[in-house]
Amino acid sequence: MKKLITVAISLALAGLLGKAALAAPPADTLAAIKKKGVLVAGVKDSLPPFGYIDEKSRTIVGYDIDFINAIAKKLGVRVELKPVTSASRMPQLQEGNIDIIAATMTKNPERAKQVDFSHTYFFTGQKFITKKGTVRSLKDLAGKKIGTAKGSTSEQNVKKSIPTATVLSFDDYPQAFLALEQGKVAAVTTDEAILAGILAKAPNKAQFEIPNLQISDEPYGLGMRKGDKHFVDFVNKTLLQMERSGEAKKIFERWFGPKTPFHLQRNFKITANK
Amino acid sequence: MLTYQFDWSIVTSGKYFEWLVSGCKVTLQISIVGIVLAFIVGLLIAVMRMSNFRPARWFALAYLEFFRNTPLLVQIFFWYFGSYKILPAAVNDWLNSTNFEFAAAVIALTIYTSAFIAEDIRSGVLSIPKEQMEAARSAGFSFLRSMQYIILPQAVRITVPPLVNQFLNLAKNSSLAMTIGVMELTYQARQVESYTFKGFEAFTAATVVYLALSSIITALVHLYDKRVLNPNRAV
Amino acid sequence: MGELFNFNVITDNFTYFMIGRFPNGPLGGLGLTIYLAVVSCILSFFCGLVLGLLSLVRNPFISYPVNLFINIVRGLPLLMVIFWMYFLLPALMGRTVPESQTVIMGLTLFTSAYMSQIVRAGIVGIPKGQTEAAISTGLKHWQVMLYIVLPQGLRNMIPSFVNQFVSLIKDTSLAFIVGVSELTQVATQVNNRTMAYPTEIFIFIAILYFFLCYAFTSLSRWLERRLAWRKAI
Repeated sequence: MKKLITVAISLALAGLLGKAALAAPPADTLAAIKKKGVLVAGVKDSLPPFGYIDEKSRTIVGYDIDFINAIAKKLGVRVELKPVTSASRMPQLQEGNIDIIAATMTKNPERAKQVDFSHTYFFTGQKFITKKGTVRSLKDLAGKKIGTAKGSTSEQNVKKSIPTATVLSFDDYPQAFLALEQGKVAAVTTDEAILAGILAKAPNKAQFEIPNLQISDEPYGLGMRKGDKHFVDFVNKTLLQMERSGEAKKIFERWFGPKTPFHLQRNFKITANK
Repeated sequence: MLTYQFDWSIVTSGKYFEWLVSGCKVTLQISIVGIVLAFIVGLLIAVMRMSNFRPARWFALAYLEFFRNTPLLVQIFFWYFGSYKILPAAVNDWLNSTNFEFAAAVIALTIYTSAFIAEDIRSGVLSIPKEQMEAARSAGFSFLRSMQYIILPQAVRITVPPLVNQFLNLAKNSSLAMTIGVMELTYQARQVESYTFKGFEAFTAATVVYLALSSIITALVHLYDKRVLNPNRAV
Repeated sequence: MGELFNFNVITDNFTYFMIGRFPNGPLGGLGLTIYLAVVSCILSFFCGLVLGLLSLVRNPFISYPVNLFINIVRGLPLLMVIFWMYFLLPALMGRTVPESQTVIMGLTLFTSAYMSQIVRAGIVGIPKGQTEAAISTGLKHWQVMLYIVLPQGLRNMIPSFVNQFVSLIKDTSLAFIVGVSELTQVATQVNNRTMAYPTEIFIFIAILYFFLCYAFTSLSRWLERRLAWRKAI
């Protein structure tokens, strides 16, 4: 009986509050941002070079942040950066805590049902980081433990491509890497650009490698609330302008180019068809 | 404008339902193994705490004070990530080849909870009049035998209500195992949330399960209390 | 592995462990842990007092829902309560809520359910004769509660309240999971950044927590002895 009452109360509460909760975010974010004079972006704060705390300035910087800054500049508003995790970014957006997600978010159909994505502003693929010489093909990972972060597409992809593996999800990628270092997992999997960032910072990087095994394409998009057309159009227009003016390329070179520890090639362009 | 569509079907059938069910199983496994171990270790520590052998008493005291006064979450992290440097390489290799996430969670929960259980048992024992121990000793029982046959059975009876509380705490605290990747109920509820964005549904389901679990543990022990420990009690 | 332990990681980040990014940024580390515990403790004391009194009211339309609520909260893991707050607070307040406030509310809700049990036990523990005597002098029921029963009850509850505060200090570590930069979160941050000293870091913060909690546990025991002595007179 008690249980039944509890269920009933929970349902009632959820029903009542669910509506109230989602009445909160503004219908036209673009107008709302201009009015309040600040663009609140959900970003990663420990994932170089996309978003991380710079030790000297003690502010959050990175590839994602430069795009947000460019959009805010175009709007003529201030930027407020809010750290999010892979698991918290979508609820934060839907509850109106943030206006836009710029947090290494892969575009996929399931997510597209919940949020509207911008054009692809970064393109990478999912790979693995392993102890040197232990993994040559996906078969070597069959039945092994593989670490990644909660709520990421990496988790879903690896379950598909290596069904026999046990996927262990940690709160963030560095923790998964620590588990790899201690031999608790055989590999850490996520997007190559993120892996490169972790490897660049690892204390004994010589012991690890990123074998050339790609299990998926990962186009990143900026996430906005579903149906927020004005804002989505504005962001897309800005992204295309940044590509034309060469600013997008410059941002890529700043964080991934030859002067960085990553040396990635820019094998994509921001276009309107994606 | 957003409208939130409630979709209770995702937590009552299909893939996500299976996730939650498997989460329930893991929560139950951790809880049962943890409760049994914590009770045994707790009993042991309580006996050490009350023994006449000074080193045993001191060890028990240090154990009690340290593990009761540090957060469980920190203890979980310590056993999972921090134990690596202390243990020999061979032990680490062996641990890593097993389901170490589960083991680390159980170890942490056992040690944490046993410290509380030991104190509860000790207060139970202290509430037994001292004369009983003296009588038992003068009747020729050794300290351990008097504990075993005279004191502990009575103490355990008195200790049942606080023990139930500790068992409940252990079951609830097992939710912290999600931080090291143990796929228990809270972990799975969060997974369902991040895959489907149906947080209300997922957390409601988990909430109902936890409440049911709490009610069942409480009910079972009340039953035990009435039928086994005090069959002749009027109430 | 050359040396077994390297505690430089502690000395290098000591200020960060203590106060986080303060004063140039928000308070974090041990400072935030204490702040969260103190604020939640004060709030849950009052909530627990109200809940405890309401749970003893004779009107079942008040006491039954209150008891149900208390039992539901006590049947849930704190982590669940915090996740619920994460969802419900923005809805209830009609605005966004910072994570640290979410955690304070979660801790308060959770702890006040336990505080209410302490209050209840304290009140029930006062001999009935006192209530009857007071009522026979013409005081109203609520006056008896407020002027006679509660002051004595509260004094007896003090040790339990201090114990509850110790639990709160430990419970603040769960703020880590929603990303509040208290001691445990700060420790994992440093752990993630350095990636090589988990043993040192977790032993260090365990000892920090231990000293903090042990001090209050000892205080509670001392109070218990002292109050018992005063009662005897």
